[in-house]
Amino acid sequence: MTAPTVPPIDNVDTPEPESGAPVGRSKRGRHARTLLLIIGAPILVVVLAFGAFRMFSPHIYSGTVMQAPTAAPSMDGLEWTDGTPVDLAAFDGDVVVLYFGYTYCPDVCPTTLAQVRQSLRRLGDDAERVHVMMVSVDPERDDLARLGDYMSSFGPEFVGATGPIEAIERVASTYGVFFARGEEYDDGGYAMDHTASLMGIDTDGHLRILWPSTLDPDTLAADLDALL
Amino acid sequence: MVLLALGAMAFAIFQPIQVLPRLRLAPGYAMVDQAGASLTSEDGRGVITLYTFVPLECGDECVRVDDTMRSVQRRVAADVDLGDADFRLVTVVLDPDADQADVAAAASGAEWPWITGSADQIENVVGLGFRRSPDPAEFTPSYAIVDGWGMIRGEYRYQTLADDADKLVRHIDVLGGELRNSGGIASFAYGAAHVFQCYP
Repeated sequence: MTAPTVPPIDNVDTPEPESGAPVGRSKRGRHARTLLLIIGAPILVVVLAFGAFRMFSPHIYSGTVMQAPTAAPSMDGLEWTDGTPVDLAAFDGDVVVLYFGYTYCPDVCPTTLAQVRQSLRRLGDDAERVHVMMVSVDPERDDLARLGDYMSSFGPEFVGATGPIEAIERVASTYGVFFARGEEYDDGGYAMDHTASLMGIDTDGHLRILWPSTLDPDTLAADLDALL
Repeated sequence: MVLLALGAMAFAIFQPIQVLPRLRLAPGYAMVDQAGASLTSEDGRGVITLYTFVPLECGDECVRVDDTMRSVQRRVAADVDLGDADFRLVTVVLDPDADQADVAAAASGAEWPWITGSADQIENVVGLGFRRSPDPAEFTPSYAIVDGWGMIRGEYRYQTLADDADKLVRHIDVLGGELRNSGGIASFAYGAAHVFQCYP
């Protein structure tokens, strides 16, 4: 007895076509592929373009962005409120919101810092990677303890720096900040006139962006999120 | 989306709109002019400022710089539409602690502030801020355009074949175009011009 012949496995589903049969089937296949190409290719291009747009489209900042961001100018000569020298490299990988103000400031400084605090709240956990730094323009009255207390009252991300007036003048000037003693009060106090803009230092330590102090918290938060 | 991508490519290639780059922050200062009045960087908020930097004594070079400043002042007033922005000139005197009478004499005939200050102030403003030598002995004519936000938008340290005043007026005109179109849909086009670095 001989065993029945079993066709090779690869022939089971693809029997030899009868004469004339393969042409029509091949035509249908080609038509299907062409149709798929005509409909599918544009869809694929659109999907890819959309993906690329979503991936690479730059955030439109509300602040004024510098085209050629350079390393944030040195703060040599300034010290943190714990007495250690200021070194911005300690913030590499994080974002710094920089402000120049003073603790006796009656209105603009506390309002601006409060707005920044609201922005940080909108960032959620990412706020841990944002540091808000105020350089005092009033070293005569803002000693380390007072400045430290003032800044920490806004939150743990808020830090203060001060130093000799010559160092503050140099640092302020390089950040485009003017300050001068202003109005004298009857009680012996005085105001400090100063530039009230906020500046953003990005995760690479580059001075990247300038914000007006009047920017609303939502808008600032969106810019900070993009910087992160 | 494809059209958008093609449009972006065309924009980058043909640069239908040009802008001046936002280079970096101009220095902050509070200095004194030839009349003894205080002038600060804050006074320039919302104002386009053309700066130059000169020693009190520099002969023909100083005359040429003054002529350029006057020419720019006249032509900007006559031909350039800056929208709501004002325009001003500022000459920074490189000699530290210069006598006010000497500054006033050097500035005679100039209808714009000539400011001076201490050696530290001049080093901070001219050396660190505008990044050029504050040493009067190393003077060469140079200019800087600063916008109303306090950003340096143009720096001109070396004389080129083009006339200094022509170049400065042309660039101030470019800045004026951006200011006039800083609102509405047009602001997006100007934003794109910055992204694609459409610089003159």
